[in-house]
Amino acid sequence: MGWGQGGPVTIQAGDEIPRPGLDDRERELAPAVITSWRISSGLSWLLPGAMAIGLAVVIGPPWTWLVLVLLLGLVLFSVVFYPPMRFRRWRWQLTDLAIELRYGVLLHRRETVPYFRIQQIDIAAGPVDRLLELASLQVTTASASGSASLPGIAAEQAPQVRAELLARAATAVAEHPGDLRDAV
Amino acid sequence: MPSDGPPPPPPPPATAGGQGHRPDAGDRDAAATAAATTSDWLEGTAPTAAVDPARPFATPRRLHPASVLLGVPLAQAVQALIFPVVATLAAPLWLTLLLLMVVAIIGLIVRLLDWRMRTFSFDGEVLRVDHGILSRNHRSLDVGRIQQVEIQRGAIQRVFGLAAIRVETAGSAAEPEVDLRVVPEEDAVALRAAVRASQQRLKGRATADESDQEADEEGEEVLTVPMSHVVIAAVTGARLLVLPAVIGGALQFVGNQVGPFVDDVIDQMIELGLAAGETPTVSGPDWRLVAVAAAGLLLLSVVAAIVVSVLRDGNFRIRRVDEDLYVSRGLLSTRDSVVPLRRVQLVEVKRNWIRRVLGFATVRIRSAGGSTGGEGRVTVPLLPVSEVDRLLSEIMPNVDGVPVLHSHPPQALRRSLFRWLRPATLLVAVVWLAPVVLPFVDDAGLIVDARPWVLLLLPINAVLAVVEYRQLAHGLTELVVAARSGALSITTALAPVVKVQAVTSRRSLFQRRLGLTTVLVHVAGPGALVTVLDAGRDAAARLHARLSEHAASPTPVVTPAQDAAGPQATGTPQDAADGPADARSAPAGATRQPDPRP
Repeated sequence: MGWGQGGPVTIQAGDEIPRPGLDDRERELAPAVITSWRISSGLSWLLPGAMAIGLAVVIGPPWTWLVLVLLLGLVLFSVVFYPPMRFRRWRWQLTDLAIELRYGVLLHRRETVPYFRIQQIDIAAGPVDRLLELASLQVTTASASGSASLPGIAAEQAPQVRAELLARAATAVAEHPGDLRDAV
Repeated sequence: MPSDGPPPPPPPPATAGGQGHRPDAGDRDAAATAAATTSDWLEGTAPTAAVDPARPFATPRRLHPASVLLGVPLAQAVQALIFPVVATLAAPLWLTLLLLMVVAIIGLIVRLLDWRMRTFSFDGEVLRVDHGILSRNHRSLDVGRIQQVEIQRGAIQRVFGLAAIRVETAGSAAEPEVDLRVVPEEDAVALRAAVRASQQRLKGRATADESDQEADEEGEEVLTVPMSHVVIAAVTGARLLVLPAVIGGALQFVGNQVGPFVDDVIDQMIELGLAAGETPTVSGPDWRLVAVAAAGLLLLSVVAAIVVSVLRDGNFRIRRVDEDLYVSRGLLSTRDSVVPLRRVQLVEVKRNWIRRVLGFATVRIRSAGGSTGGEGRVTVPLLPVSEVDRLLSEIMPNVDGVPVLHSHPPQALRRSLFRWLRPATLLVAVVWLAPVVLPFVDDAGLIVDARPWVLLLLPINAVLAVVEYRQLAHGLTELVVAARSGALSITTALAPVVKVQAVTSRRSLFQRRLGLTTVLVHVAGPGALVTVLDAGRDAAARLHARLSEHAASPTPVVTPAQDAAGPQATGTPQDAADGPADARSAPAGATRQPDPRP
């Protein structure tokens, strides 16, 4: 499976800029991302879990069961309950001027990255993501901290989103006189 | 055998000794004829044909031959020589010397080859550097991408009339994009002038090349920091800690390397009665000795801080030439930076509490060039608070100074108290509970003794929290966004609105309950961020919206004054956009449409 039909984007002066035509409604991530999050947080519990169980078997103080129950509760929460909560909070939107993300369960975040400031767009997919036909999309600006990343969208949608972002970035840049065009 | 120490680097061979051999405009002919007689690679210039006087850097040339020795930082050279010394500490002296010789000769050969293989050129548009002995490296740097050019003259370099040029771009993270060490000083100045001239040309402002070099020396005086202020800065700032840190580091190093040796010395001193070693550890430390040592260290720290500051920041001067700030500083080794005004990303006005009492502040100017790591960011060591607004208006044209700042709602005080009291409470809890729960950790009863003192932290931190809350504020004008924060050291960060790259808002559970939002305004450069901490929810939402709008479509505010001189007055499409739209060569005179999308 490749990166889909996006292909390299070349734009000449005066060209009609190709645009997949994604509208500006609020979007969710692909639901498969829940599974992806479950797998990754489950994997991250493997080592500490194994260590805790090993310790319990070897040392086995009287309150071992309490620790194990607590651990089980944590694992259960972070694998079963937390990913759907996270998914439900995730929204992204291509507004007039910027890509806007809203997410976070405890810490609500809202990130706005204007098209004009986009320096680079990366699409990435790990092995689990590839099995689930997911991809993540990272939008980088000239600022080290001010970048946005969409953790799980449908793999066949990612090139479209990228093309749309590139087109909007190109338009935004072309709208500005030369001096301002240098975004840094 | 540490007493021997590493011998000084071997004397320069004939090649590097030829300082008088500079290929200046003056003796370029002489050099050309000399090239015919001596083997050409000993010459400073690459073997080339005649040099075009209008574009003196168009043909590739080498660095000054002295860069064989001066091209690496001294510390690095010493480090390379320390290794063989340490490795053969136990071996006889002659082996150490032999190894040192071998390392020095190999190093010298590598440096010689490196110098021979390294050339640079500037044709008016692209700065090219080719280097590499085995694998060749070709670097081309478009003049439009250059953020900052700095000329640096170390003390030794100044004796021989040499200088290093450092060129920064927005991308350079760990080190400068181009670092030319070393070239003749007049070449460095000329190269910088050439870069500047072509940047001006790109902006469509044709300046006569001749007057440009003069402008390098002239320009409008913006700020001079008198020596007395440099001294005050030294004794009121963090540089007081330089000496203790150095001593601490040295002690650690010495302790690791020659611990046994030091022990020997101490034993001998004890034998001679020079040190109070008769009753070790039993009677505890001799407090008089400790007091004297502390006073001595304090005095030394003050002296060291003053010396370091005067050497580094003496003669601090900022001049403004057209659209560029020329910042020069340093007494022995000097550093000259040029920061184009349109590249300024962030200005931070900092006041610690001592300086606040005395009415001083420091100002830090950051461009996107990242290599600097505290060094190359331009920091004004000290200036009276009354001067701050004037300096800001020079750095950011049309900004009259710190804008009107709006303080944050009272709920922010609760967050502030929480932030300061949480760690203090934790510490108090640990100190009070630890001896009870785990009695064995406190055999000497030290922790129990400390209990009442730790309690003092609570009121102190509460006061600091109130101080911090009262400082929290932010402001936004058409041109600049500003935020103030901090308790012991108060920072006001200002970023030009045109430079805003992205905006993030964050609200934790507690912030949501209190109706507060933290807004992060990102500008280019490592860690370059304006943090608006705990603003009211609605104010934060307005700020977020307005800033993202500005960032998405930066509109220059053209005032009559700027119309004449401002960079926005011209509209040549030459200025390279390094966005993903790079491939597109935009039609000249592209008109702005408010929103062409359906």
